[in-house]
Amino acid sequence: MMPSTLEHKLAKILTKRKKYKAIRYGLYIFIFLLVLGSIQTTIIKDTDWEKIGTFGTVVKALARFFPPDFSLFPHLVKPTIETFMIACLGTFLALVLAIPVSWFAAHNITPYKSITYPIGRAIMTLSRSVHEIVWGLIFVAAVGLGAFPGILAVAMRSIGFISKLTAEAIEDINPGQMEAIRATGANGFQVILYAVIPQILPVFVGNTIFQWDINIRRATIMGLVGAGGLGLTFHRQLVMYNYGGVTTVIIALLLLIAIGEVGSYYIRKAII
Amino acid sequence: MATLEVKDLRIRYNRSGPEILKGLSFNVEQEDFFAIIGPSGAGKSTLIRCINRLVEPNSGDVILNGRNITKVGRRGLRKARRNMGMIFQEFNLVERMSVMDNVLSGRLGYIGNFRSFLRFYPRADIQRALELLDEVGLSDFVDKRADELSGGQRQRVGIARALIQQPQILLVDEPTSSLDPKIAREVMGMIKQMSEEAGVPVLCNIHDVQLALEFSNKVIGLQDGFKKFEGPTKKVDKATLDEIYAMEIL
Ligand SMILES: Nc1ncnc2c1ncn2[C@@H]1O[C@H](COP(=O)(O)OP(=O)(O)OP(=O)(O)O)[C@@H](O)[C@H]1O
Ligand SMILES: [Mg+2]
Repeated sequence: MMPSTLEHKLAKILTKRKKYKAIRYGLYIFIFLLVLGSIQTTIIKDTDWEKIGTFGTVVKALARFFPPDFSLFPHLVKPTIETFMIACLGTFLALVLAIPVSWFAAHNITPYKSITYPIGRAIMTLSRSVHEIVWGLIFVAAVGLGAFPGILAVAMRSIGFISKLTAEAIEDINPGQMEAIRATGANGFQVILYAVIPQILPVFVGNTIFQWDINIRRATIMGLVGAGGLGLTFHRQLVMYNYGGVTTVIIALLLLIAIGEVGSYYIRKAII
Repeated sequence: MATLEVKDLRIRYNRSGPEILKGLSFNVEQEDFFAIIGPSGAGKSTLIRCINRLVEPNSGDVILNGRNITKVGRRGLRKARRNMGMIFQEFNLVERMSVMDNVLSGRLGYIGNFRSFLRFYPRADIQRALELLDEVGLSDFVDKRADELSGGQRQRVGIARALIQQPQILLVDEPTSSLDPKIAREVMGMIKQMSEEAGVPVLCNIHDVQLALEFSNKVIGLQDGFKKFEGPTKKVDKATLDEIYAMEIL
């Protein structure tokens, strides 16, 4: 037999749990209805069902993508390398440009707070809020077709991510080390060199590797807007209705992305 | 002439906030080992940081060997700072750098940006760093990273870093508060011995009254931003200490 005080407490706990149960079920039902509602408005109403046709035609349409058109293979080598290089050079450019941006956007080391801090933050936000395809379109318009606008687009997109995380790391550094270096009579550059960079280097390198991996994915679609690489081949095969060729390009993309995934894992392991 | 003259030093951190140092004046002679004691929050760390302007005093003068530090510009301030070695409670070594590079960083005020970027220090600096590390018993730790050292070892690197500056004064803020009593006494002994050898005076904040009385020849008692006491260590008795620490008893 339980003592009465405990029994009282137990009763209280049980009613409380019952109440939570009701709330939880209510929530599940709400989410379920929300999903149903979304499906109703976006898929059921918006899709041209006449065109989709029967299950059979869907399968038939998909079957056009097989078998892959391997005759395309020799033509894929150059664009694959180009995509890879767009990602590498774009990441490198972003890494270099992210250094001044992080310097400006970290409130504890920014040189002229009222001017440089807002500039740094603005570049960061701009870079992150504009999609790489849009950057691609902008740079294709500015410098013409090819890999170069792709590199610029990938870099623009990456600067924001690298510098945001780096600036946050800078704001979190141990100020004592900065104070000690400053106390030796070091100038601002030397303080950054000796007290800031060693503290944030692991974060900076880690983020850059992560961005490189993502940039390989970003580079693959650059071709869709004429900014070089595999995306362009993909687009061409699609407009030529060569679906087998599309499949081949997709295989090449997957291989490239896998290289990025595995490569970044090993680089990270080697450096950090 | 005194090595360091401090005249009517005043500071408040915020314009509307309280005054933390309320007109401090004192002189440090070349052979002095000053212990600055006083209750927590009295302004000891603030005082030390005002002297090399890690925090800017609102008014007053700090004169090091005839040079008024409060009046110099940025370049002059950097020159003045390299004449003042500083040792910290939390050691403040660059954790991810080697012991040798940490000691050499004490020479940054003397070398240019290019050399500091490549860590090209003159041979004489490297030799001096090794001698100092040998003196503090760490000549076998040159290539160790600072974050692999114990607290006592880190503070000894801190001492070497301050002394390689060839300073005219040592500013020391609670050098032993992060250390156990035995190591604390060793570190204090090292600071005293090496400063005497180098012929530089020491201005040392210290919580531990016993250590303060043991190593200093002069004492400043701070309380709430005022100088409550200044005099030779041997004149410090129980009544003096009671007065300096009065706030804590209340
Ligand atoms: N950066 C700062 N901004 C605002 N107020 C500060 C700052 N640093 C210190 N103070 C204030 O100044 C006063 C003196 O602080 P200080 O650190 O100089 O005291 P202290 O004597 O060194 O104390 P402790 O023995 O605890 O180290 C305290 O009231 C503290 O709150
Ligand atoms: Mg203090």
